[in-house]
Amino acid sequence: MSREQSKTLPRPLPHPNAYMRTQPFWDAADRERLVIQYCPTTGRFQHFPRPVSLYTGRRNLEWREVSGRGVLYSWTLTIAPWPGHEDRAPYLCALVDLDEGVRILANLYNCRPETLRIGMPVRLVWERLDDKFNYPAFEPAIEA
Amino acid sequence: MKDVAVVAYGETKIELRSGRTAYELAAEVLEQILERTGIDKAEIDGVCVGETLSQTENSFWAQYVCEMLGLSPTWLELMGLGGASPIGGVARAAAAIRAGFCRTALVISADAQPSRAPEQGGQRFEFQYPTGLHGPVGAFGLIMQRYRHLYGFKDEALAKLAVTQRNHALLNPNSCEKLRVPLTEQDYLQSKRVSAPLRLLDSVLVCEGANGVLLMHDDNARRLGLEKKVFPAGYGEQTHYRLCEPMTEITESGFLAAGPRAFQQAGLTPKDIASFHPYDDFLMAILLQFEHLGFCERGRGCDFILETDLSYRGQLPLNTGGGQISAGQPRLAGGGVNLVEAVRQLFGEGGERQVEDRRNALVTGIGGIPYARNWATSAVLILEQQR
Repeated sequence: MSREQSKTLPRPLPHPNAYMRTQPFWDAADRERLVIQYCPTTGRFQHFPRPVSLYTGRRNLEWREVSGRGVLYSWTLTIAPWPGHEDRAPYLCALVDLDEGVRILANLYNCRPETLRIGMPVRLVWERLDDKFNYPAFEPAIEA
Repeated sequence: MKDVAVVAYGETKIELRSGRTAYELAAEVLEQILERTGIDKAEIDGVCVGETLSQTENSFWAQYVCEMLGLSPTWLELMGLGGASPIGGVARAAAAIRAGFCRTALVISADAQPSRAPEQGGQRFEFQYPTGLHGPVGAFGLIMQRYRHLYGFKDEALAKLAVTQRNHALLNPNSCEKLRVPLTEQDYLQSKRVSAPLRLLDSVLVCEGANGVLLMHDDNARRLGLEKKVFPAGYGEQTHYRLCEPMTEITESGFLAAGPRAFQQAGLTPKDIASFHPYDDFLMAILLQFEHLGFCERGRGCDFILETDLSYRGQLPLNTGGGQISAGQPRLAGGGVNLVEAVRQLFGEGGERQVEDRRNALVTGIGGIPYARNWATSAVLILEQQR
């Protein structure tokens, strides 16, 4: 279940700008930078991207780079794969609470399920899906 | 408010790859309701239709259903609460009758096999599908893991739920034939993991079928000589509980908000509930509802299940028709499986699985799986006999 292993296998690519303009997220991802929507009025982050601030209902939003540090909130070992992910199974899906106060759904790499514990520190890694898309994922911040 | 009553129900057999369309399935429910009440079809002037997975491409689905079934309503509503649509429809139909929009309302749900994969779109193409999270199965895997971390777990509690509901399904002729085989706790414990810690037997089998109930004012029911009646005595609904708290606890749900509203309206407490018909897409959802609706304390769900006789003859009869887990889930008509069984029991038509205490029943609905949370809508309906 290493990042390198899954890289070579086909899987569904993101469809950017379909429900709103998300291009800044993917442009930053391409440069291995994780940007998250930020509401300057309240000083809070939100993810996934939305057309308004969850906190004010106003469209005053910007993109801010985040540290990529967080803790493992929960995880599941996907044995029966979602369509398009057959070649990767089993793989880990996780909810990660970023230090900036926002939760993100992502794959977890470079670890074995037995070594995981909820609350453990994790850090951002990037998975190159193809020449257009870099996808955020996480790995244990302390070698597991 | 015991002024509007549920006076009839209808339900098809739940089937796997039946080859029948949602329209054909809905027609069977209408026919059953007309046969059981003996009323003229023209009496039905209100219709509430649940959204489907098989007809999602048809934006005019509710109107088509009426056109197909020969219904000309003065009030028509399309319900989009997923598995909470049937009980959400009951609450709205009662309100529409009170408001004078209609006199007799059919709340109907039917779903069949989609001709192509239904697509929910939105953010999923970018922020969910590329991770490979296995839809609702994956979401409940995450919920289970989190719950285990917070409270610990007794797998035998979920095994007991699986066996209790399967025993009920064996007594329900409408349950899916594939599921009408005995199940042991060992079968559950040995079933393969699909999104660990979630097992295959933690989740529903997706099927086809239809169900519905008929509501009218009590005075109208008397005029038509209808004697079987149960009353929606309390209803609570919550969509996107704590949505604007991005790191909220996923083992907490909208039932913490919707439950107290329904109980308060009905003037009842969890101790007063005679039978419980919770929405059961996953066994884990039942465990959480015991806690969130106040049948037991938070974190004590496993012990409560192990300590309580949940069979149809027990202290708290649970999903006496087998629930969706063991009768089958007719896709987005699934919430009606729990609803119709509750009405059937209160009417005293439970047959071999009839509960003794018919004073009331608690039915719930769950609908929609949002990003990185648990579920979108939690709905709670308390049905009661005339006191």
